[in-house]
Amino acid sequence: MEDYRAPVEVQWSPYSWNGGTVLAVSGEDFSVIASDTRLSEGFQIYSRDFPKTYQLGDNVVLGSCGFQGDVTTLNKVIEAQLKIYDHIYQKKMSCESLAQLLSTILYTRRFFPYYTYNILAGLDSKGKGCVFSFDPIGSYEREVYRAGGSASSMLQPLLDNQIGLLNQTGVEKKPLSVEKAVQLVTDVFTSAAERDIYTGDGIRINIISADGVDIKEVPLRRD
Amino acid sequence: MFLTRSEYDRGVNTFSPEGRIFQVEYAIEAIKLGSTAVGIRTSEGVVMAVEKRITSPLMEPSSVEKILEIDSHIGCAMSGLIADSRTMVDKARVEAQNYWFIYNEPIAIQGVTQAVSNLALQFGEDDDEKEMSRPFGTALLIGGVDENGPQLYHLDPSGTYTQYDAKAIGSGYEGAQAALQEVYNKSMTLLEAEEKLLQILRQVMEEKLTSTNVEMTAVRVGGKFQRYSKEELEVILARIKT
Repeated sequence: MEDYRAPVEVQWSPYSWNGGTVLAVSGEDFSVIASDTRLSEGFQIYSRDFPKTYQLGDNVVLGSCGFQGDVTTLNKVIEAQLKIYDHIYQKKMSCESLAQLLSTILYTRRFFPYYTYNILAGLDSKGKGCVFSFDPIGSYEREVYRAGGSASSMLQPLLDNQIGLLNQTGVEKKPLSVEKAVQLVTDVFTSAAERDIYTGDGIRINIISADGVDIKEVPLRRD
Repeated sequence: MFLTRSEYDRGVNTFSPEGRIFQVEYAIEAIKLGSTAVGIRTSEGVVMAVEKRITSPLMEPSSVEKILEIDSHIGCAMSGLIADSRTMVDKARVEAQNYWFIYNEPIAIQGVTQAVSNLALQFGEDDDEKEMSRPFGTALLIGGVDENGPQLYHLDPSGTYTQYDAKAIGSGYEGAQAALQEVYNKSMTLLEAEEKLLQILRQVMEEKLTSTNVEMTAVRVGGKFQRYSKEELEVILARIKT
């Protein structure tokens, strides 16, 4: 019985979870996309100043969180594709095309996915605000508002109530202003930071309009 | 002339001392043997027409196709070795669908033209079965409507492509191009373009122009690639009867 060895379970874990929350809201001629600025793993905070939004064009911003290694790589792939596209077709890629491209890139990794939750916000080819949300393997949809990542399950119901006005009677649907959108984003992130340990430290808000991208930073609780 | 060329005009990838690749130049000559193809871009859309050479009364005219659809918004007229053009049209069709698949919008005319032009110089003397051993003996007119409106491109065997308002290729191209220059103006309507194309083909064709020995297509702004039926052609022919 000298050869006896207890069974060993071999594990291979190529992914980490670095938290982070992204949120996007679209209006008539603008869209707002924000993320918190905390980067963490487990009970450790790696950075308090790590926004997870990436500007990809004059009026398009990608929010991406999950496993930071994959987020970085995915961003490099997209940026390379954007440059090649610009060289071949001599134009900037539209937001709708970028959404389809992202979906295609994600699906090429169907069986070893990029562990990333993506939300794309910008202006569409008609100048209207647009938000596209993705699952990690490329299923996507155009929506008016969407939360993704760590605290998404806390933010989404708040947005459903405040912007979607779901399950309410006798409410009047008014067009959303930029100020209202930014205020809502700030409030819902503040709430999420109370309950989610992977969301906090600060918010980076990107306000996308025909004039370009305006950035606003708001502090959050740091514990 | 042939004395100077004879040393260098066999290899397809050999420059002559004067810096020319004769096989490519000969390929351009091959197009001048092909049937005439003409195209006009107007603000309302692009119209293209080619002559069909019906060499025998026993031939089925509808089986001669020299304008093909690349995508629902792009057509392609050809002159020269038609079999060679099919390889290029195949590539263009794949490229158009691939672009749509990745970017969820119709490809620009310049985009497909560039993709096809990349094929043009992929010939060589290696024994690679997949590669062309000689240049394509064909010229294309690629016309369609994209986000920048109607566009017409000309592509030759050297892989050079140029945008045109109106262009003629094939055996009658010299006369046809001169005629196009004469009649073309920026404010031309599609209806006028249809008439002018057939008038020009009538001038340069050896046979009498009828509704069976001509092929015509149009891509209209907001519309799709569309082939004129025999009846539609007869209506236009009646309009230009003089």
